[in-house]
Amino acid sequence: MTAKTENKEKRIGLFVCHCGVNIAGVVDVEKVAQVLTDSPGVTFSTDYVYMCSDPGQQMIIDTIKEKHLDGIVVAACSPTLHEKTFREAARLAGLNPYQIEIANIREQDSWVHTDKEKATKKAVKIVKSHVAKARQNENLDPIRVDVTRRALVIGGGVSGLQAALDIADQGCEVVLVERSPSIGGKMIQLSETFPTLDCSQCILTPKMVEVSRHPRIKLLTCHEVDSISGFVGNFKVRIKKKPRYVDETLCNLCAECEKVCPQVVPDEFNMGLSFRKAIYMPFPQAIPGTYTLDAEHCLGLNPVRCGKCKDVCDKKAIDYDMKEKIVEEEVGAVVVATGYDLYTMQALGEYGGEKYEDVVNGLEFERILSASGPTGGVMRRPSDGKVPKSIVFVQCSGSRDTEKHLPYCSKICCMYTAKHAMMYRHRVPDGQATVFYIDVRTGGKSFDEFYMRAVEEDKVLYIRGKVSKIFKEGDKLIVWGVDTLTGKKVEVEADMVVLAMAIVKADGVQNLVKKLKISTDIHGFLAEAHPKLRPVESLNAGFYLAGCAHGPKDIPETVAQASAAAAKVGDLFAQKELLHEPTIVPVNDELCSGCGICVTMCPYAARTLDPARGVVVVKEILCEGCGACAAACPSGAAQQRNQTDDQIFSMLRAMLRE
Amino acid sequence: MKIHYYPGCTLKQKTTALDISTREAMKRLDIELVEPEGWSCCGAEYPLTEEKIAGLAAPIRVLRQVRDEGGDVLVTTCSFCFAVLKRADKAIKDDPLKHKRINAYLRDDIQINPLTKERTTGFEDYNGEVKVLHLLEFLRDRVGYLKIRERLKRDLKGLAVAPYYGCRVLRPQKEMAVDEPDSPRLFEEFLQAVGCAAVDYPFKQECCGSYLSVSLPAAATEASYRVLRSARMNGAKAVAVTCPLCFYNMDHRQDAIKETFLDFTGLPVVFFTQLLAWALGVEKSMLGLGEHRVPADSLFSEAPATEVRT
Amino acid sequence: MFEPQIMCFLCKWCTSSAADLAGTSRFHYAPNNINMRVMCSSRVDPQHILYAFKEGADGVFLGGCHPGDCHYVEGNYKTLRRITLFKTMLKDLGIDPKRLRLEWISSAEGKKYAETMDEFTEQIRALGPLHLNEKALVQEVVKDE
Repeated sequence: MTAKTENKEKRIGLFVCHCGVNIAGVVDVEKVAQVLTDSPGVTFSTDYVYMCSDPGQQMIIDTIKEKHLDGIVVAACSPTLHEKTFREAARLAGLNPYQIEIANIREQDSWVHTDKEKATKKAVKIVKSHVAKARQNENLDPIRVDVTRRALVIGGGVSGLQAALDIADQGCEVVLVERSPSIGGKMIQLSETFPTLDCSQCILTPKMVEVSRHPRIKLLTCHEVDSISGFVGNFKVRIKKKPRYVDETLCNLCAECEKVCPQVVPDEFNMGLSFRKAIYMPFPQAIPGTYTLDAEHCLGLNPVRCGKCKDVCDKKAIDYDMKEKIVEEEVGAVVVATGYDLYTMQALGEYGGEKYEDVVNGLEFERILSASGPTGGVMRRPSDGKVPKSIVFVQCSGSRDTEKHLPYCSKICCMYTAKHAMMYRHRVPDGQATVFYIDVRTGGKSFDEFYMRAVEEDKVLYIRGKVSKIFKEGDKLIVWGVDTLTGKKVEVEADMVVLAMAIVKADGVQNLVKKLKISTDIHGFLAEAHPKLRPVESLNAGFYLAGCAHGPKDIPETVAQASAAAAKVGDLFAQKELLHEPTIVPVNDELCSGCGICVTMCPYAARTLDPARGVVVVKEILCEGCGACAAACPSGAAQQRNQTDDQIFSMLRAMLRE
Repeated sequence: MKIHYYPGCTLKQKTTALDISTREAMKRLDIELVEPEGWSCCGAEYPLTEEKIAGLAAPIRVLRQVRDEGGDVLVTTCSFCFAVLKRADKAIKDDPLKHKRINAYLRDDIQINPLTKERTTGFEDYNGEVKVLHLLEFLRDRVGYLKIRERLKRDLKGLAVAPYYGCRVLRPQKEMAVDEPDSPRLFEEFLQAVGCAAVDYPFKQECCGSYLSVSLPAAATEASYRVLRSARMNGAKAVAVTCPLCFYNMDHRQDAIKETFLDFTGLPVVFFTQLLAWALGVEKSMLGLGEHRVPADSLFSEAPATEVRT
Repeated sequence: MFEPQIMCFLCKWCTSSAADLAGTSRFHYAPNNINMRVMCSSRVDPQHILYAFKEGADGVFLGGCHPGDCHYVEGNYKTLRRITLFKTMLKDLGIDPKRLRLEWISSAEGKKYAETMDEFTEQIRALGPLHLNEKALVQEVVKDE
């Protein structure tokens, strides 16, 4: 909202600061104030020692009131320092804060030039330009929007669960969307977690239950985000419900359907190391506690080819006619917690690609270790069920490789490899565990002590060197590596190999970020607003990041980040209304020809072409005021508030004409 | 189709089998091979350091000759020649300094026709106009396996052959750009196209000993043994190579291998072009089988004695 | 000695910050430039640049963020495209394109800013005065002056 000033001359007050000797030592400040006294628009002109001091500010307030000023120019230090200070002073005097101009005659004049005469001349030009601008400044008010105090959390792993719980505990409603049939993510697949060797499922399931029972959390599993529109504080999300074919409110987990189902499918929860039926429960503690029918592997639903599961279901929970549905939700903030995947072994041809059954990745090994896994927690190798007497662990498989694979470090592998080696040694005391490493990175709390335990107590052999080749010869896997500390080549005969595969972006996240219009880095991990100072927000207002979707990290960090994201959401929701800088670029309907060039220029999708009226419309809350569209507009319909083309031309005249 | 073909020195002297079988096979595919006029040795080894630029002059000269004869493709079967020619061509294209200096060398080039004694000089700079292709690439991309299948005259009945890539064809990947070095398909697909069954074994790219054959024969013996042993363990009835030096190490050295490694009983080594020629109907006498120290005749018999490996 | 006038359009987030940093660090440079702070280098329209030349600038400088770092995602790419095209136009208009300089200076590069100002000042000094305002055929009538 702008208040147009009437077409009468402005009454501008000029205050030139000495800043002690910082400015006055080089620039003749009294002369500057004096030269500008007779400039058009200048009603009052003075100089003062320290404008930012209390008396300095009071002088501004008093002068505004006494002289009925409607514009201020303070010639002083960089606006980055005190623009807010002087705006506040003006506001206290009853003047619109956007009528304040700061002329930088310190950092960009007195501090970088030595010739006093030239520095003073330059200061006069700078001040004149800001006076010229001030003469055309309009009163502006921040743009205000309501905030919908509900959050959307995408992803039901530990990061999504934590964020959802924290936001819900703040008193706000949360919609938690998870595309698979159960929450739990990757953490629920783990056996023990470092550095405590806690049972992963034991510490996660309470959180899962809490989420399912929380009065303010709406849990939507088998759902996927279909599209999102709107802007921060005011999003409209369309969520697609994929048919489960089982009514979760009726299913009582009797498991009769599973017994009669003829279709056997590799079990993805056990990483393909065992089988499940087409109608299945992902794992015993799945939430929601219900069976799900995997239509892709079912013999056929349309027409029904089998129907056995429905026949035996006492509760009549199975419904083959379920269809896809769209659910619409309104939220004010979105937390993206979509997790990660592991780099494919196919990419590592030198390790056999995916050819060798006994070469497994970290998650497969977790399932073998797990008491609820395919071997009941007994250490056996996949190919023949033999108990492996020698396991080689290869760190950095695909990570830290600038030539062919991924250049970054996957952060958690050193710790989980130590954990795997320890767990193996505990179960097979006469087994040999060998770890090939480049470095061992154990920076977290109690992490190094954990690794030392593996080396000293559990006698895990650590060899510093990369593995060049893994191949099968007869019953054994031959691992070729090198021991860089002795300089010798090493050949190890192993029964099994565990590769610490690199952490990569979650499958399908590319499509999701396109829908959300948030950015990722070149590896597909979500981009934070600032790598150090703003690690849990996206540059796109209203979107927050948590967990491995943002980059490889362990569980303690994930939980911390999820809570941080929830806190940021809390910041947003704590606002009565959202205030947005008004120095945006509106459209003058009368001049707009509807060419649409500005629409293509906007990185925030703030502008759209209204087909009915043939002019462009701006969503002010989305406009960040960069001005790219203003420069591109051929008809001058797009003008930036308080930096219009007219103002720029006035400033140029003031600066350049002799 | 007429295509420029670079045999390299060794194919004209020690391993004429590779040259003859190539020509005969190409005839059956209606491809005429034309050797660039007055071609010289390619240098055999791509210079191992940045300053050794002189080593690029010979291969670039060959490529320039091909270009001046109107060719835009040069096909070769010897891995060493392929690597040198391709990498030299890339060096000229990527590095302006090398481009300048090699062309400066070659500007002084004078070619004398041995018969007419005619002198040719004033050659134009070479700028990477010729594409260097290994015959396996050429067969896959320019001829096509379909055409090969159509022309097959003999059924090799899924003969289990272990493809041996050696060190030169696939690496360095950025320069050679032929196939994925850690899981290649090029040679395997060729073998399938001619009716063989490609054996998958882990030593298909491990060193055969290369020219340690001369300076440290024991190392070459062991290296070749390991390749042959792995091929045999995985069910191969023969090993197919594409390099005269690989052939030398793995065929000629088999007596030495048998002396040192008593568990080794022998495995025939053939050139991939011999399999191609035989499958396309070329007579046994034109395959150059006489050059083999380990008899390979049994592979090229009309009797249905071949086994199939699954 | 001819003292060139250089008009500088600096983006708030990067180059203007660099100029401030040059000040804080007391890196001195020639006083021939005068700065206008814009939110993004993409705010600068070629007509602003031509106007600057017309009003007496002998050289015009545009400072933005390094590619990939733009606060507004891709503004600097837009600037790059615009200026590349515009420089060819300048030639046709009889203005030496060397009088227009586009530079990426991040907020940490205070020294680079100071050095660039000195360098550009000398380049323009060597090119001599433009005097476009004298050559302008059309006299602009400005109401309030």
